Amino acid sequence: MKRRINILSLLIFMVFWSVSFGQKQLHYYNVDKEIKIKGTIQKIIIEPRYKNNSPFLIVILEEKNTRRKFNVEISPVRFFSVDFHKGANLEVVGSIYSKGEKSQNIIARQIRFRGEILVLRDKHGFPAWRGGGMMHKKKRKGNDF
Amino acid sequence: MKKFSIYFFLILFLNTALGADTLSLSFFQNMTDNLFQNRYSEPDQISSFNFYIDKNISGFSFFTEGNYSYLHKNPELAYYLHDIGIDYLKPVNEKTAFYFSLMGQGAFYRSDYEDFNYFSFNFLAAFKTYISQTSIMKSNYILEYKKYKYSLFDFVSHSVFLSFDKFFQTKTTLKSEISWGYKNFLHPYSSEEVIPEDYTEDHHSGRRTYIFVPKIEYEEQGIQIFSIKGLIAQGVGDRIGLRISGMKQWILSGENPFSSVEEFYMVENPSYDSYSWTGYQISSQLTVLVPWDIEFKIGYTMDNKEFHGIESMSLEGDTLDITRKDERGQFEARLEKNFPKFSIFLSYFYIDNQSNDPFFDWQSNLFSVGIELNTFINKKK
Repeated sequence: MKRRINILSLLIFMVFWSVSFGQKQLHYYNVDKEIKIKGTIQKIIIEPRYKNNSPFLIVILEEKNTRRKFNVEISPVRFFSVDFHKGANLEVVGSIYSKGEKSQNIIARQIRFRGEILVLRDKHGFPAWRGGGMMHKKKRKGNDF
Repeated sequence: MKKFSIYFFLILFLNTALGADTLSLSFFQNMTDNLFQNRYSEPDQISSFNFYIDKNISGFSFFTEGNYSYLHKNPELAYYLHDIGIDYLKPVNEKTAFYFSLMGQGAFYRSDYEDFNYFSFNFLAAFKTYISQTSIMKSNYILEYKKYKYSLFDFVSHSVFLSFDKFFQTKTTLKSEISWGYKNFLHPYSSEEVIPEDYTEDHHSGRRTYIFVPKIEYEEQGIQIFSIKGLIAQGVGDRIGLRISGMKQWILSGENPFSSVEEFYMVENPSYDSYSWTGYQISSQLTVLVPWDIEFKIGYTMDNKEFHGIESMSLEGDTLDITRKDERGQFEARLEKNFPKFSIFLSYFYIDNQSNDPFFDWQSNLFSVGIELNTFINKKK
């Protein structure tokens, strides 16, 4: 009986392993892999990430203490609304979705930049940005003069 | 209640019809002791409901936004604004992108301000590039056409904006901007003089009614403006940011086609916009991230505006033979706390406007509290 269970366990493991082996690393927000990093911006780029979506603003961040590098996926709309610069400090709360040899990729959920907090996703990782009208500044938060 | 039901079903319909990705709802309660922003203070409270919906298709974003504002003591000034548009972000390379948007807007005021009802069309083309990783160049062009119920206000405008900024390792940012604009009033002059009815009676009630008396001379219909702006921002640690900016604006040609200009609280007034004045503005702002990650902003803005073509008048309505000049000091404090699902806002303004037209010598306190709720319909990660 014990032998049968062992064989069955081995089979399940092999099936699972064969399915997952060679599969592309999933690109999604995993709340279990959420980390908080603080670093200095090394590079700012814009590139396509998802089908049927605007290109994303990507920031390459170097962690202060460890000097590890992270490719931080910000959001599509922030390219025009936030002016990041090389050398500026950035704090990111986000989920790691893949690890390269030299850097790790992170989907940002919240960033802190120049004393302001930008919430990019909710706690489950669902996008919190407004897609359209980014340059019209029509948010009517009380009165502006 | 009926209006809120209509509003609710409009949101529901648009949300369903568009198969929206994002739905955002907000509510703001505003209190002011000087609704009409003039010598005769009139307090009121404004409740403002806002919704925003968007949908992404093949890199395009479709968006629509509605705002209903109700004035508790002046319900005949309640209004509804609606925007609908599409935009597109096109990267050229890793450092450069274009942004285009088309937007239509409608404003519907109740009886007292129905002259301000309008439909507008707006096209925006923007460009941003990283000259280096510490320096950005931005530029945009905006075309706007507005058609009002009171056709005197109808206009087409073009504006161009260009900015450069440079970030230094000392956490200092320097920014310079120049902008040019041209606003062409399509038919701003009346063939005969219009005498405002009951002018003197309304003059002492907090509200001037029908004061946009068109000039009868046939002069240049367009106003051309040019402005320069400089900004210096300094970060102190990770939680403090300080910003000081200065702006100077000139009217290169043309002048206001109206006999008077004035602004109203929360009403976009076609006679009082960036094309109506020449002068300068100096502004400072301190941003601090206080405990519990609450954003606190405090600022002071001082501006000096001269309204070309507008003569100041005495309280009795007689001309003073001087061009209207206003000097304004504005203090503001804002608190904002962002949660993953919603944000809360609190703000306070104090404005002291000194004018050589005594009717526009005024002070005002404004207080606003609000909540914004975001829900994500298509839960795409």
